[in-house]
Amino acid sequence: MSPNLNARCALAAASLLLGSPALAQAPQDGAPPAEAAPSAQAQPVITKPPELLQQVEAAYPPEALAEGVTASVRLIITIGADGAVTDVLPTEPAGHGFDEAAIAAVRQFRFSPAEVDGVPAPVQVEYVYHFTLNAPQPEAPGPEQQAPAARKATLKGQLISRGSRSRVAGATVRCGDDPEAPEALSDEEGRFSLEVSPGECAVRVVASGYQLYQTKELLQEDETTEVNFYLAPKGGALETVVRSERPKKEVVRRTITRQEAQRTPGTFGDPIRVIQTLPGVARAPFISGQLIVRGSNPGQTATMMDGVGIPLLFHLLGGPSVVNAEFIDQLDFFPGGYASQYGRAVGGIVEVGTRKGAADTLHGSVKVDLLDAGFFLEAPVTDGVSVAAAARRSYIDTLLPAVLPKNEGSTLSVVPKYWDYQLRVDFGAKRGANTEEEARARAGGARSTGYVMAFGSDDQLRLVSSGPETERDLTVDTHTLFHRIKGDWTYSKGNFTSVFTPYVGYDGTSFKFGSAKQDGSSYTVGAREVLGLELSPTFSVRTGLDLVFEHQTFDVEFPAPENFEYVAFPGAESVGELLVEHIGLGSFDGALFVEAELKAGKFVFTPGLRANYQRAGDARNVALDPRLWVAFNATERTQLKGSLGLYSQPGETFRFIPLPYGNPELSYQRAFQSSLGVEHRLTDVFNVDVTGFFNRRFSNIVAPGQLLSLPGGGVFQVPYSNDGIGRALGLEVMVKKQRASATDKWSGWLSYTFSQSLDGRAGPLPEGRGGFGGFGPTGDDTAYGLSPFDQTHILTLVSSYVLGNGWELGGRFRYTTGRPTTPLNHTYDLYQVDRNRFSGVYGPYASARMSGFHQLDVRVDKSWQFQSWTLGLYLDVQNIYNAENTEFTFNDYRQRREYEVPGIPILPVVGVKGSF
Amino acid sequence: MKALLNTGILLMWGLAAIACVDPEDKPSNVHDLRVLGVSTEQPELIASTCEQTPEAFDELAEEVTYRALLVDPAGEGRPIQYTLWACADQADSTCATEADRVLLAEGTTTAGELTFPIRPGAARVAGDKLLLERVLEEDAYKGLGGIRMPLVLRVTAGDEEVYAQKLMVFWCPVVEGMTANVQPVIPGLRVDDVPWPEEVPLELSGPGPFVVTSEDVSDREESYVVPGLRLDAVHLKEAWEIAWYTTLGKFNLSETGGADFGGQQGRHRVEWEPAEGAAAQDVTFYAVVRDGRGGSSWVMRQARWSP
Repeated sequence: MSPNLNARCALAAASLLLGSPALAQAPQDGAPPAEAAPSAQAQPVITKPPELLQQVEAAYPPEALAEGVTASVRLIITIGADGAVTDVLPTEPAGHGFDEAAIAAVRQFRFSPAEVDGVPAPVQVEYVYHFTLNAPQPEAPGPEQQAPAARKATLKGQLISRGSRSRVAGATVRCGDDPEAPEALSDEEGRFSLEVSPGECAVRVVASGYQLYQTKELLQEDETTEVNFYLAPKGGALETVVRSERPKKEVVRRTITRQEAQRTPGTFGDPIRVIQTLPGVARAPFISGQLIVRGSNPGQTATMMDGVGIPLLFHLLGGPSVVNAEFIDQLDFFPGGYASQYGRAVGGIVEVGTRKGAADTLHGSVKVDLLDAGFFLEAPVTDGVSVAAAARRSYIDTLLPAVLPKNEGSTLSVVPKYWDYQLRVDFGAKRGANTEEEARARAGGARSTGYVMAFGSDDQLRLVSSGPETERDLTVDTHTLFHRIKGDWTYSKGNFTSVFTPYVGYDGTSFKFGSAKQDGSSYTVGAREVLGLELSPTFSVRTGLDLVFEHQTFDVEFPAPENFEYVAFPGAESVGELLVEHIGLGSFDGALFVEAELKAGKFVFTPGLRANYQRAGDARNVALDPRLWVAFNATERTQLKGSLGLYSQPGETFRFIPLPYGNPELSYQRAFQSSLGVEHRLTDVFNVDVTGFFNRRFSNIVAPGQLLSLPGGGVFQVPYSNDGIGRALGLEVMVKKQRASATDKWSGWLSYTFSQSLDGRAGPLPEGRGGFGGFGPTGDDTAYGLSPFDQTHILTLVSSYVLGNGWELGGRFRYTTGRPTTPLNHTYDLYQVDRNRFSGVYGPYASARMSGFHQLDVRVDKSWQFQSWTLGLYLDVQNIYNAENTEFTFNDYRQRREYEVPGIPILPVVGVKGSF
Repeated sequence: MKALLNTGILLMWGLAAIACVDPEDKPSNVHDLRVLGVSTEQPELIASTCEQTPEAFDELAEEVTYRALLVDPAGEGRPIQYTLWACADQADSTCATEADRVLLAEGTTTAGELTFPIRPGAARVAGDKLLLERVLEEDAYKGLGGIRMPLVLRVTAGDEEVYAQKLMVFWCPVVEGMTANVQPVIPGLRVDDVPWPEEVPLELSGPGPFVVTSEDVSDREESYVVPGLRLDAVHLKEAWEIAWYTTLGKFNLSETGGADFGGQQGRHRVEWEPAEGAAAQDVTFYAVVRDGRGGSSWVMRQARWSP
């Protein structure tokens, strides 16, 4: 029996997801034209998948043939912008010579160029090459055996992902294992239609990222059988098998995917807290989500959602961030050296890219955890229009009464609650056309897409303590909220791209504390227009405007505050007469930016300029920020890169109100940032990045400022001044391992930062000493020294492993050098009689450190897939070995002895999520 | 606003964590050498005019009585050396700058109330300059809070050393309505709602806690006027604070009263708990009141406590 050799292949599904930093050394030769906004909010979309034009059959390995061995070789194919195969890597070795044979054949394949956002771009696809052995051909039938006419039956249906109801596109459906049998390819809706001979059909469905699906259907002659097949996904939740590369305009851009944002241990699934695991970010005390980036202070890193600033990042008392992890597509984090289109920050930038609604069918999820519950829904509305929505609300206010102490003679009521929402409606995709090409042809070669998004947050806290046995009757009532509505219109034609992003917003704050009341409201109108034009393959420009106007009003009733209205005597605070004020102030901040990209051989030069103008009250400020980024593509896998430039951040509007509560003389906060690094792609899934940085901050806003004598008499302490300065230098290392395919079980990253950051004031400490840079007092006359957040070594290891059967295990280990402290040096008591407080006697400023911080967090996920939905359960345990880390030190009342304040002990959190 | 909230959040976490740490040395428990209170009678001196005339300086040079409450429970009556200086700079907590300090008194005493007359307004430093003028020169607020002269008492006994700084206030009528401060006085104390006489030790037994309250002081809290930073008149009302001390056990609060920035005033109510396992003994209690503008006084009470 001589076996009939046959090798068949099937193009696997090509679900395109976004690029990862591991693959982000954009091959500049094939990069798309100048993108107007290569940021997280401008997600690249595959507008035309690659098609296999030329297929080459692989030689069946002789030994395998002799042994009768078959195999399926799963490959990651990198397809260049011209359709040529540039790289082929097996994801799981099959052995027996199959890998080599498949690679040799696939290298000769030819594809039609894929298009991302309408332009040819390099992409990666997963491809399965099947080596099968055919049964011997039956003897040729005699004339009497030949059927007069072929009989037909039709099998039609839809392929649906089990557990999520996603439609499975690009899968092959066939009857039996006969390589010559007809087969059907599922379309974008997962639909297929297969014409075969009547009778029993041993259905085989092969789809990338899914287990082989087999069943039997009895097909009647001249009849159509309608079916739905539910395919079981392979591996864990990560199904990113095809990646597009986004051109990288920044020296360092670190990207967090939605899966990483939701499943990084120890972060409670909070996307912003995941950023703390990246290089360049110091560890914030406790479980606070503060972003302390490359020596900058909290508040100096801008966080944006699809290009619009998020006014308040965290819910009540440092709780979860207002960014719902279900709604994000990914996060881009720029620790420094970012492009000219970004501004209003002297630290880093966090860009939250939101999720476009599903185009296939209704999907959603419901999640419940310790603090809150929320849902996410996404669905197509009509042709070319999809919607995604998420909302979340806390229920701590309903649980707290059960645990609060109840004493006769006192009542304590604490009512904290928060909620947030996100809504996005996308439109413009194809609009009635069957293909992108048809849509583009109808529009004369142009393409328009857009979306409208709204997001907002609301936090309320009411605390009432009263009764004869309490220290005092206390009432605190706070309410903060914000709403933003933004549009996004992307237009591209040829080498020209335009992205227009208008937005409006409302912020409200209300605060009541005893007889003190403050009601504030703020209206915001802003717009960003970014134009990109590729003038030649080696030269492109990008320019645009970034404008925002704010009007804030405050209605204030306060007992006359000491040191603002009168010189306080140390000790008991008297009750001041009630002051009633109405304050209104408008501010405008606009920027014009321009950036060019010039390719010269292996070099890419990107000079840019951002011109900022601010008008707030009577203040008029101008700042010019020139920036330069240079990349050298040493090899296809290695890139050297460097940047330097100036950055500006305006003071918030309320700081410009008149004296004594504001300072209308404030100017831009400034920073010089520079970096130099190398990025090397070890393999398709392993990436290493080493970057050194040096930053200087100057004219930063600190509180309070110096005393100011008024011309007609009187003295004020200016509440804010531009005296803040700082300096940081360091080295960041990032090694990241991604999952190559759905069957790859391990992913994670190692992040290490070595740094030194200084902070303080350019002049002497003000009267009353005041804040030191962005934080606390120095304890002596030192006005410049180590930042209170300085951490010499910051090491983070994050890893996740898919155990199978719905189980996934993850861990995060952190080590950081302890923060600086000023040691107590008690030799005698210093009693301030009027204040009834003791002063401390200290050693040199920041001459000691707290002990190092180390902690292991572990997370276990278990999911159960049902026909139409998936149930997930997770246990996230912070500090699993209960390390007693020191977060702060404080002194006893006589300032004789230091006490260490421990951090969070072991803290398990359980959550449930159902998705469909 | 974001930066302020961030700092507030950190502060809140810090305070919450501090609440979990319990230092051994409690402020309300006196067990070694301490200065619990200092007062001057009058609490402040006010000239009849703001013109810098010899008459005005004479008014500010009046004699006042300096009082300090010294405790030394473990000292067994040992001698305590004291020195009192007046100096020019509030930041000079020990009056270390010799050129700007004047010795007002020194000697040896024992625990209890230290009393002597002083004339700080007449003190002169190098160059025969009035110390008052030097204080004014050092004052960044140019006297808008009054001339606040630091009086620094240094007491030593054995190897213990305490510096206690009290600000003596000298005023002139910068704005209409300013009057001299009246010394705050606690009208009386109660234990478990029973009046606590000054002369007779109270008999207390059991583990407590015993609720100690002050008689109502609200009608004694003065309304007063100070110059504002814009030279206008700012009207204020005192919110007294009382600090509580005991030679056995501790109070649940070491300080009561006062007002927060929302004008919410505390009530003067504390709970005293004897130390666990202590034997029957005489216990001394102190309550030191401050009016928030320089006035201060104290009361002492005795109790015979048995388990």
